[in-house]
Amino acid sequence: MVVLGAITLTMIVPLLNILARSLSGPEASATMGGLEILPKDFDLINYKIVLNHPKLMRAFWNSVFVTVVGTLINILLTTSAAYVLTRPNLVFKKAIMIFLIFMMLFEPGLVPEYLVVTKLGLMGSKWSVILVSAVNVYYLVIMMRYFEEIPESIFEAATLDGAGHLRMMFSIVFPLSKAGMATITMFYAVLRWNEYFKASIYLIKANDTLFQVVLRQFVVLGDTTSIVGQQNLFNYNDLARIDYTALKGATIIVAIIPILLLYPIVLKYYAKDAMDGGVKE
Amino acid sequence: MKLLKQKLITLQMKKQLKKDWMLYLILAPTLAYFIIFRLWPILGMRLAFYNYKARSPWTFAGLKYFTMIVKSPAFSDIVKNTLMISFMKFIILFPFFVLFAILLNELRVSGFRKYVQVISYMPHFLSWVVIAGIWIAALSVTNGSVNQILNIFNLPSIDFMTDKTKIRWILMLSEAWRSIGWDSIFYYTAIIGISPSLFEAAEIDGANRINIIKHIILPALITPIMTMFILNLGFFLNAGFDQVLNFSNDAVLSVVDILDTYIYRVGIQNAQYSLSTAVSLIKGVVGVFLVLGTHLISKKVTGKGVW
Repeated sequence: MVVLGAITLTMIVPLLNILARSLSGPEASATMGGLEILPKDFDLINYKIVLNHPKLMRAFWNSVFVTVVGTLINILLTTSAAYVLTRPNLVFKKAIMIFLIFMMLFEPGLVPEYLVVTKLGLMGSKWSVILVSAVNVYYLVIMMRYFEEIPESIFEAATLDGAGHLRMMFSIVFPLSKAGMATITMFYAVLRWNEYFKASIYLIKANDTLFQVVLRQFVVLGDTTSIVGQQNLFNYNDLARIDYTALKGATIIVAIIPILLLYPIVLKYYAKDAMDGGVKE
Repeated sequence: MKLLKQKLITLQMKKQLKKDWMLYLILAPTLAYFIIFRLWPILGMRLAFYNYKARSPWTFAGLKYFTMIVKSPAFSDIVKNTLMISFMKFIILFPFFVLFAILLNELRVSGFRKYVQVISYMPHFLSWVVIAGIWIAALSVTNGSVNQILNIFNLPSIDFMTDKTKIRWILMLSEAWRSIGWDSIFYYTAIIGISPSLFEAAEIDGANRINIIKHIILPALITPIMTMFILNLGFFLNAGFDQVLNFSNDAVLSVVDILDTYIYRVGIQNAQYSLSTAVSLIKGVVGVFLVLGTHLISKKVTGKGVW
């Protein structure tokens, strides 16, 4: 109990410390230690800066766009492919599965993918990031497992009623696999929101870049100049006098919030068995 | 007779194909994705045997880039780093994931267990950029929590992120921090799947918790442990690109430079396309054999494969 409690403390204290720091006034936060978890001299200045920062906010909305559109495409392709591949008597099913598994195992090199994206004219477009990871074979297989659990008799009945494949998918298969749909939607959305590497290569214009890319530039690489601005630093105005550690903290918190909003859904659907596990006692 | 049977089968296939045309239409976008964004780049990996030209056709280079790789002293260091980091993450770390699941199961207070689960699963969903940001702050020399704790015990502050002797341990620990909860789910569900009657019988026999763990829980975990262990071997060449990229800096690059960071640096940052592709090709081919090999072993030993 002590060990597990200690482990969770290592996870929760740094986060609360960052949160506390980001909610403190610039003078107070600069002197705060790493173990303090309550804000001092409560002040929303760091969030005001982040939420009014043109570069950060543009990147934020770009990330929202890529996450929403990207996840939609992920779900549409993954579920429709999973539906087709779980139909009985499908000719070439085995060949298609072998092809997909090979595609999963053999990662194309970074440069060849880069050249394909260039050739398709997608360089610099948000569609590059959206399309290069349109389907994940692992999640496709997970989805197939869910669809396989639907009894065949339901399909037979629907066919007798004259339902075509599209109607079968949207009004029978998808609603019956709610847990599976929720699970892969979550996984895809998290992948999309956390995406930074491909974005840092393909989204060459600063205007198109994603939040995680800017976050990395600011927090990991420590490039404050591009966030605060040369001119502000030179004038040493309010923005330049801010505590950068606290400002970084606020940026991190803004990046985490969408994940925390989705997190309960993961616990409800994917981790359900584990969460309910204790009832036997 | 045989011929007739053959013909009948082809006829049936044709009939089925005709009946299912809509299904193939639905599948088409997904197949198109794999052909354009996965298969095409894979075919493009022949660049490893060619000199890249942007406007004119590539010229054949034979094994030039492969000999370059083999001869380069940096490459053996990179392979060593990759294997070392994978070893620390997959071999040293993973008994602790099992231990975490066992400890979780020992918790009697279900409210506290739920709390541990909710907190410990969460870091898995944070991006490595965010995790690196949190860790850099926590390990900071000036006001990081870790150095503050060291100072309380009168120990000097350490700049962990730029210390070559410590950075790999930081990689291992941050991986543990991110995954110990989430990866333990696999073992934990195996434990809660054990039939309650086994525990009851053991309690009647007067077994204590240690005995129960030794004789009931651990035996039930052998199959999942084997499966996980073998699966990890299949991904040994990956070592965690996103993590390493975000935790590395010039001061420690020489000990954390792995295959994927090398492929990125040489290929995208230095635009040495053929050289980078050659490394990707080696990694890809070895990787496929590792996964296929471990898949077959896993199927044989535990009855469960990678897919």
